Amino acid sequence: MKTGYLAIMRRTLVQLASRPLYWYAIIVLPLLLFAFFTSELEEGLPVKAPAGIVDNDHTSMSRRVGRNLDGMQLVSLTKECDSYSDAMDALRKGEIFGFFLIPENYEADLLSGRSPVISFYTNMTYFIPGTMLYKNFKTTAVYTKAGVVMNVVQSATGAQADQVMPLINPVNIQAHPIGNPWLNYAYYLASSFIPGVLQLMIFLVTAFTICDEIKRGTSVRLMRMARGSIIRAVTGKLLPQTLIWVVIAMFMEAWMYGFNHFPIYGSLFWMTVSTLLFVAASQGFSLLVCCLLPNLRLSLSVNALMGILSFSIGAFSFPVSEMYGAIGIFSWIIPVRYYFLIYITQSLDAMPLYYSRCYFAAYFAFITAPLLMLWHLKRYYRRPVYEP
Amino acid sequence: MKTILHKFLSVFRTLGEVYAREFRTIRRDQGVVLFFLFLPLAYPVIYSLIYNRELVRDVPMVVVDHDRTQQSRDLVRRMDAAQGARLAGYAADLAEGRRAINEREAYAIMEIPEGFGRKIGRGEQASAQLYCETSLLLRYRSLLFSATEVALSMGADIQSSDIGSLGMAGLASGDPMPVVDGELGNLQSGFDSFIMPGVLILILQQCIVLAVGMMGGGRNERALKGLYTPASGSTLLTMTGRAGCYITILALPVIWLTHYVPVVFQFPMAGDTLEIFAFLLPLVLACIALGFIVQLFTSEREAIFLVWVATSVAFLFLSGLTWPRYAMAPVWKLASDIIPATWGINGFILMNANGASLADIGPYYRNLWILAGVYWLLAWIIQKYMLRVRLRREASRP
Repeated sequence: MKTGYLAIMRRTLVQLASRPLYWYAIIVLPLLLFAFFTSELEEGLPVKAPAGIVDNDHTSMSRRVGRNLDGMQLVSLTKECDSYSDAMDALRKGEIFGFFLIPENYEADLLSGRSPVISFYTNMTYFIPGTMLYKNFKTTAVYTKAGVVMNVVQSATGAQADQVMPLINPVNIQAHPIGNPWLNYAYYLASSFIPGVLQLMIFLVTAFTICDEIKRGTSVRLMRMARGSIIRAVTGKLLPQTLIWVVIAMFMEAWMYGFNHFPIYGSLFWMTVSTLLFVAASQGFSLLVCCLLPNLRLSLSVNALMGILSFSIGAFSFPVSEMYGAIGIFSWIIPVRYYFLIYITQSLDAMPLYYSRCYFAAYFAFITAPLLMLWHLKRYYRRPVYEP
Repeated sequence: MKTILHKFLSVFRTLGEVYAREFRTIRRDQGVVLFFLFLPLAYPVIYSLIYNRELVRDVPMVVVDHDRTQQSRDLVRRMDAAQGARLAGYAADLAEGRRAINEREAYAIMEIPEGFGRKIGRGEQASAQLYCETSLLLRYRSLLFSATEVALSMGADIQSSDIGSLGMAGLASGDPMPVVDGELGNLQSGFDSFIMPGVLILILQQCIVLAVGMMGGGRNERALKGLYTPASGSTLLTMTGRAGCYITILALPVIWLTHYVPVVFQFPMAGDTLEIFAFLLPLVLACIALGFIVQLFTSEREAIFLVWVATSVAFLFLSGLTWPRYAMAPVWKLASDIIPATWGINGFILMNANGASLADIGPYYRNLWILAGVYWLLAWIIQKYMLRVRLRREASRP
């Protein structure tokens, strides 16, 4: 039996290549999910949400409101409903995500100053279509109202149009989203979820390869090949994987910033460094879990749980500052959180490296943490017991 | 006549045997119990707690006030009082504001230009700029909503006093065209109430597939050690007996997920309980069949983690919950059509949040039954094939 690093690495590579499961988990599934997240969100912003209109007035004025609505970017009036309950039915069936209601005698009431009430309803069960319809419905209502006010004021006071114009909208606050002026949804989701997928697969594959040795009882032979050193055994097992993951991670970066032209305002160099460290940090996290729970099923369960929870607790959409403190602290113990923070500081907001220093330091904590607990894994590697 | 009765009884006996045997197997397998019971019990609680604050409130903002008049201070006061924003401090210029953003003391800079107050006094339109850091869309959304609200309310106050000065006292107080908006389903537009009801159904699907997939791996391992003998009776009978066992166990998580979790976290609950159970039956059946199919790829128990866990993220998106189905590329729409959770999630949230009846979401219900039928057929073929492979291996064993 050959011993030493090279022999263990060769053994690892043979193991990885000989099981279709590993090909699937390391190459097929991650690449498929990378492609999925970029191509599904390709549009950036889902426009043309199906909506309904209830026009109880049927006059030229009410029809104009309908035409204005249909011309909005985010609205597609797919259904004309006869009544409120008819529209509610369509909404409950999931055919439309909201509707606009123009009351009877709208034109007549407006012209005679009897204040007709316009209303609109959005289904907030579906967050994105609901919010978009709300935005465009509100704009339409505000502009329709502005036109009405202008007419009324002009005809009542004889004031000139340029006198009345500022009255419609006296204060104007212009919001400028810096970094993502298109409010492109894909730039957020893909640049946090794709690394999240990578982290999840690294967690699972690392735990699987480390603890499968215990389950099959082959760890005894591995320890002999490592001449009794757990560090040699684990390094020989993980280093070949690190290299494969680095290739996948580099492809991920090229896929996002190269092929898909995601904006990168800051330093590509530091993003690349971050990607490399992120791979090692994810392996470190998973190895630490294996050291604490040297059992295939338990370590996989914990890794799967943390990997999946990362998508929520990583605060890619809902900020940590708004979570309960006792929940929010968990965001600090997952590597992908730091990848995301470095992405924001280095790429999106283009800050000096100084502001990312702690995040880079965190990577090193993940990489070195398992060293403290390797003795525990060693005990199980020497005397493997499989508990299902 | 007698033979038919005998056949009938023997079918039932076989079903009962399979059912009881599956129960014993599950009881001894901690991993499967974890997937069937612990995961659906614990996961929605953790997940709901993460988002339970629902809204992003009081996003800190620094102000660069070049105007320093009563009107500009009024604007800042109104922003500070709005739900979505909070005044973190003043900055001398944009560079200092930018430093506050870099230090994460603020996520927006409001710049009020010189002459803001003078323009309001002269009856011209006055504008201010709000520069938002956009690492999180929800934060931007809160700031934008507050800014719109403040601009409208401050504008309305100026309007009523100005129109009054134009000599139209009547219009100053009355609104010529009131606008009413109603947010349906998710009444406070919160993030938790939006995402969780859908996630509950996804959790149900994933737990079933993971558990059934792991059962297959366990059986395979036992077969390799020669500890497993296939049950008597046809493949379909075995599958039915096992499915019956799973459904019995699943009653607990289903009630927990569809009733108690929404009660505890105050999610919308407008649906009829019995109708929801009736709706979920084909979903559960389809998921069990999906589990039988996945068994083809789980040669050992733990392989199911590598095979199936990562799909959850994709399924959440494919369901149309976060990214609407009408905006999906055709190929992904097709993929979303063949996932039970897609129809389950959409039907369930329409029932639970919007109060739809089972008749309202008839098409979803029908699709679930079709999926259940197709998956059962596929599962039957695959299970028959797996059994044949296993028997051939047994036969070749010395």
